[in-house]
Amino acid sequence: MRKNWFYILIFLCLVSVLVWFSAFYNTSENLKIIACDVGQGDALFITTGSQQILIDGGPDNKVLLCLSTNMPFWDREIELVILTHPEKDHFGGLIDVFENYSVVNFITSGLSSSSKEYQVLKEEVGSSATKVHSVKDGSTIRLGLIGFEIVWPSREFLANNSQKISEIGSDVIGSYTTSRNKNDFSIVSVFSFGNFDALLTGDIEDEASDAVAEKLLQKNIKGIEYIKVSHHGSKNGLSGKLLEVTNPKVAVISVGRNNSYGHPHAEVVKMLESYGLRVLRTDVMGDVVVQSNGISWQVKD
Amino acid sequence: MLYRLFLSLLLVLLGLRIFSYFSNVPNFPEGTHIRINNRVTSEPLIFENSQYFKLYGLKIYLPKYPQISYGDEIIVEGIISKDKLTDAKLVKIATSDNVLIRLREKLLSFYKKNLPIDHSALVAGVVLGSKQNIRPEFWERLKITGTVHVVVASGMNVSIVAKFLISALVIFLPRRKAIPLALLGIWTYSIMSGFDAPIIRASIMGSITFVAQELGKLYYAGRALIFSAIIMIFFKPEWLIDLGFLLSFVATTSILLLNDSIYNFFKKVPDILRSDLSSSLSAQIGVAPILFASFGQFNILSPLYNLAVLWTIPIITLIGMISAIVSLMYVPAAQILLFLVYPFTSWFITITTFLQ
Repeated sequence: MRKNWFYILIFLCLVSVLVWFSAFYNTSENLKIIACDVGQGDALFITTGSQQILIDGGPDNKVLLCLSTNMPFWDREIELVILTHPEKDHFGGLIDVFENYSVVNFITSGLSSSSKEYQVLKEEVGSSATKVHSVKDGSTIRLGLIGFEIVWPSREFLANNSQKISEIGSDVIGSYTTSRNKNDFSIVSVFSFGNFDALLTGDIEDEASDAVAEKLLQKNIKGIEYIKVSHHGSKNGLSGKLLEVTNPKVAVISVGRNNSYGHPHAEVVKMLESYGLRVLRTDVMGDVVVQSNGISWQVKD
Repeated sequence: MLYRLFLSLLLVLLGLRIFSYFSNVPNFPEGTHIRINNRVTSEPLIFENSQYFKLYGLKIYLPKYPQISYGDEIIVEGIISKDKLTDAKLVKIATSDNVLIRLREKLLSFYKKNLPIDHSALVAGVVLGSKQNIRPEFWERLKITGTVHVVVASGMNVSIVAKFLISALVIFLPRRKAIPLALLGIWTYSIMSGFDAPIIRASIMGSITFVAQELGKLYYAGRALIFSAIIMIFFKPEWLIDLGFLLSFVATTSILLLNDSIYNFFKKVPDILRSDLSSSLSAQIGVAPILFASFGQFNILSPLYNLAVLWTIPIITLIGMISAIVSLMYVPAAQILLFLVYPFTSWFITITTFLQ
């Protein structure tokens, strides 16, 4: 009998340890944008309070480590996952994310891919309780204090360059295909939290980059602090025009150490520096963390 | 006299079996294009872009997706090059409809969904011998610290389960009736945790212990060990060249031989740690030369790492098992139970990844 009481006591101690664990866990309402070090690929993790947003998942399960170090252990739910475009260095890790977390909303541009891995992702999403949406230029997303304004792909671009493959609603993952480079179909969005704005560019290449700059001018969006440099700093990625229009202060490049593509290209880094930007690279710094309270912001070193 | 006769007869039979197996192993010349249709009998190792497993002693690497799991029946094609199947292509995959294997998949997914990576991988490894979700970096750390044996299918897990089962069952049943049920439990568990050599070795030895108790016979661990080796090789002669098999038997043998004297040597060590220390130290002494010969690495601090983390294993196993059982009835309650494992897995992970 006495032994049973002993076990119950241990059990209660354990429970209280856990409760204290969680009580001291810092869930501040401040914003954190983490460019996860996922090797050659993109995965941007955004948290405020108990809300999490993941934009792309990198090539493989490395993204899980980034999620687990930046989320309390009992929180197994990600409010929003956005896939900018269906290439493996952006969606590969999402398969693991869907296997390990409950995802509430999943947003894609609707562009499909015939790759085997993408079919696996589709199955994962399909067998989960996740709500799937597709967005294009003009869509907006609100989540608590966070807002996204989608500026790309534009309707005209989609109409000219894609073929519809399914008519069953527009919220299906992969409702159209293209013969063009998938990079140019990346979802580009302006993310805002109070006065802090970030331009998230996926993998768009120079032509689309100029078109996005044009869009931003039309919509009169400026005063952007943070830019995720498109296509891992590839030579045919970011355009000077986009930098001129947005005038950001800090540029984040998500890129693998010693990658075989030679990303980021020296010219791009030079261009960024000539515009006076501070360049932060995941291959140099590991996870790149920028924090903001909605008024000021700083890079966490 | 009769015993000796029986034993030598057994050995002769075993010899015949091994001989006939190895003389009948299909020996394809280099470059032969073959198609293999077989069931995958152990869980594939998963790398960044590929998965690895063995069929008929051939090393096979396939793309990461579609993912193959333990128990699946597959058809692969490829070209033989030494002990490898190169240019391997997956022709067909049929998932197993075995209830236990399906249950295993369900439980693995429960762990994944409810604990952060590394923690879930650790619980899944300790409870079900699954390597699926272990990140390569974490795997490397486990190897370096010499603690990988607890995460892969290990005999230790079987003995924890056996002890747990028998002590839970004797609460409700008389011992004589509890033993057959415990036996059933052990074998169910060994099927669920992937039929790897160390698991089977421990299951056979555990079964012999229980049966000896039931029959009121004396139990000699050494004899049980030899007996299980004979049975295993008889049924699957290719285990003779399996590293896991070798390690498991050498470790157990050296525990049997050295544990008592090492235990007595550490008189000053507190009781809770003393048996962990002596058993891991004696096992390490045995396996060190093999590890060094096959991996070229051996960590002299490994017994210390083991000492620091081994005490968490029975607790992790227990919480993992109980929450798994509850998860079949009511997931939210199981989730809260599973969270209790977090302080222990945190300890394990911190210790093994601390000194990089």
